[in-house]
Amino acid sequence: MRQAGSYSGILISGKTGPHLLPLARIKKIMKKSGDGVKMISGESPIVFSKACEMFIKELTQRSWMVTMQGKRRTLNKEDVASAVMATDLFDFLLNLVSEMDTSKSS
Amino acid sequence: MAEDITGAASINDGVGLKEQDRLLPIANVGRIMKQIVPPNAKISKEAKETMQECVSEFISFVTSEASQKCRKERRKTVNGDDICWALATLGLDDYEVPLKRYLHKFREVEGERAANQMRANGGDSSKEKEDEQYPFKFSFIGSTSNDSNFRPFD
Repeated sequence: MRQAGSYSGILISGKTGPHLLPLARIKKIMKKSGDGVKMISGESPIVFSKACEMFIKELTQRSWMVTMQGKRRTLNKEDVASAVMATDLFDFLLNLVSEMDTSKSS
Repeated sequence: MAEDITGAASINDGVGLKEQDRLLPIANVGRIMKQIVPPNAKISKEAKETMQECVSEFISFVTSEASQKCRKERRKTVNGDDICWALATLGLDDYEVPLKRYLHKFREVEGERAANQMRANGGDSSKEKEDEQYPFKFSFIGSTSNDSNFRPFD
């Protein structure tokens, strides 16, 4: 069951600035998504900056649960990979994490 | 151990972007991750790098879906609603509602700001500048709350 707790009720205050992630970079990544992504509205990177934040938080939370199960205090990349594999929603990342695994293998 | 912020020598992933262009900055990603784990927890550099890759993949994946929708509907510009729709389509519907509200408020705030700027042209320039940097001075309410908590300008 998916938990919504980490990202509901996000407070955006004028003091810290609205975006935690650089909009121009997000836009670049969007443009390179292929399939002829031509034009992107000004608000799209802004929506994505929030979506990415939510995504990072969710994946981190799930990864941290794996870390805790291993009774460790350092979140490592295998924890992230485990979290991806354990979450159906993150199936689109399976290739990515398994690729990274094989490149690391000694 | 000092962190290599710019990232190692580029891995050509065939898309044609240098690594620093292809990924969101590791410092920003790391900061968000730190918000989730306890204060005494550590996050390995590799974990942050993995997260960087995952986020970029996330952006590409969702954008692709959104852009296909635009093409089908013969529209050239991917907008915020398309992103929200794509998130829902890909099963990330928990994100869709909060983001739609975020987008809606952003459009409201932007519209107000634009109108105010026009009206107050040559008025209080310092406040105008602040608004420009920080257009969002509101609490973002999750899908379960009602709007009575909504304070547009804190």
